Amino acid sequence: MINSLLNIGLAHFLALSLILFLMGLLGVLISRNMLRTIMSLFIMSVSAVINFVAFGYYCDTSMENANMISVFVLILAVIQTIIALVILYKIYQANEYLDAEKIKDKEN
Amino acid sequence: MVTNLIYFYFLFFGTIFCALEIIFAPMMYLSAISLFLFVCFSSLIYLYLNSVYLSVFQFILCGLFLSVYILLLIKKIGRINLMLVLAPASKIIVSSIFVLLLGGLFILYFFQEFDSSLYSFFNAVVEKSFGSVNFRHYLYPLSLVGVFVLVSAAVLRVFLDNSLAVEQSKEQEENKL
Repeated sequence: MINSLLNIGLAHFLALSLILFLMGLLGVLISRNMLRTIMSLFIMSVSAVINFVAFGYYCDTSMENANMISVFVLILAVIQTIIALVILYKIYQANEYLDAEKIKDKEN
Repeated sequence: MVTNLIYFYFLFFGTIFCALEIIFAPMMYLSAISLFLFVCFSSLIYLYLNSVYLSVFQFILCGLFLSVYILLLIKKIGRINLMLVLAPASKIIVSSIFVLLLGGLFILYFFQEFDSSLYSFFNAVVEKSFGSVNFRHYLYPLSLVGVFVLVSAAVLRVFLDNSLAVEQSKEQEENKL
């Protein structure tokens, strides 16, 4: 057990990625503030990128494939975040609050 | 060896702590600052894994652009001191159980499928792809993607502005009637 903690390998990065993904998911589920929800989605995207880079480092010595995929995933994450923020800003202008529950209630 | 180990666990717990801070920070501005720190820590993790380009790329794109943009946005809408508001307790409990179950399932699946054959499975995937990709060739398309992001954000903003204006004029007409 201690030996596996001391020898850093692929499993450590996969564990980190899994923890970050689950935390991001928890943030999306429990947060009522939409800005925090968007940031949680970003955490999930970064966890996916860490996964790709770790596999690239341990399984593909050239690292080019992993870097390629990671950069595209990262760009997609940033696009998603920026577009979500723009939509959020417009929702705020229309409603004056960022609470998801209140917006849902208003729509109903 | 020891320094390497300490550095890794520093990054490991730093990243997790920042992610926790983003979700549970009592004030909104703390959350935005944590996002910046989270980006810094994850960039250092990429650097640890020899991905220098990706590390710099993420730091510039997310650290210097996205985090600052979010900070400016919450300042602009006057929500910099917005307190933490969570879902009702029942929803938090159900969500936590769901997330724990999902984590458990991930780990079970992982050990069952790839227990000792993890490396061989992914090596097979790598071997099936012929040759390696030259990353420098993709810098030009990536810059196009960047331009595309800015254009799409601008178009979306104009589109939403228009729809908001139409809605407001409709409401005004209804009020007049």
